[in-house]
Amino acid sequence: MNAVFALGLAILVIGVLSVAFVRPKTYVARLINLEIPAWGLLLVMLAYDEALALLTFVAVTAISTFVIVRLMEWRDASC
Amino acid sequence: MIALYLVAAIAVFAAVRVVIEQKTGRKLPYANVMNFAVAGTIVLLLDHPLSLVAAAAYFVGSTLEANAVASTYAGGMKR
Amino acid sequence: MIVALEVAFGLVALLGAVSTALVRDSYGKVISLGVLVAGIVPFIVDRGYLDVAVAVSLIAPVVTIFVLMAVRRAEA
Repeated sequence: MNAVFALGLAILVIGVLSVAFVRPKTYVARLINLEIPAWGLLLVMLAYDEALALLTFVAVTAISTFVIVRLMEWRDASC
Repeated sequence: MIALYLVAAIAVFAAVRVVIEQKTGRKLPYANVMNFAVAGTIVLLLDHPLSLVAAAAYFVGSTLEANAVASTYAGGMKR
Repeated sequence: MIVALEVAFGLVALLGAVSTALVRDSYGKVISLGVLVAGIVPFIVDRGYLDVAVAVSLIAPVVTIFVLMAVRRAEA
């Protein structure tokens, strides 16, 4: 097993557990914890050699974070 | 080769200091030290003409990130 | 990569991940996320994907600024 693959799996498990059992139970803390499994999955995808998949995954993560932030602002303003 | 080990040791030391500091105002200078050490590591790690571009991009990005966090922590732009 | 450097930057990345999971302050979480990214980027450079490293280094601060917009809205 490669070192990059093992490190990526460890970060992925830590991130999934931290998103599931988030301690200050707010939307912002859960959104920040959601960034950890994204980087762990990037590190797992780095162990297999696909450059285009890495570029696409980074871009999609940034766009989805922007969409979730706008959704949180809209939900707080509406109610 | 000794420069690479020195810069990696500085990065590990600064990361440990960022984690164990309690106040946010004392975390930020050590985060800057760690970013500069990682930028130096990227230059020294690989003999490729494009690695200088990658190090410059990481330098610009990490400095922008640290300044954004510090500006928001200090109160942001007063409107 | 040299084994000592792999251990060092793996330690930095794990420290950032655990610190982001456990710290309760929002600004502390964002700073620890920066530590996590700083531990991951040398692994990407070492595999030879320099274009991916440039893209990651330029997109990660944009994500941080998006999160900071939500943090400042939640604090106020």
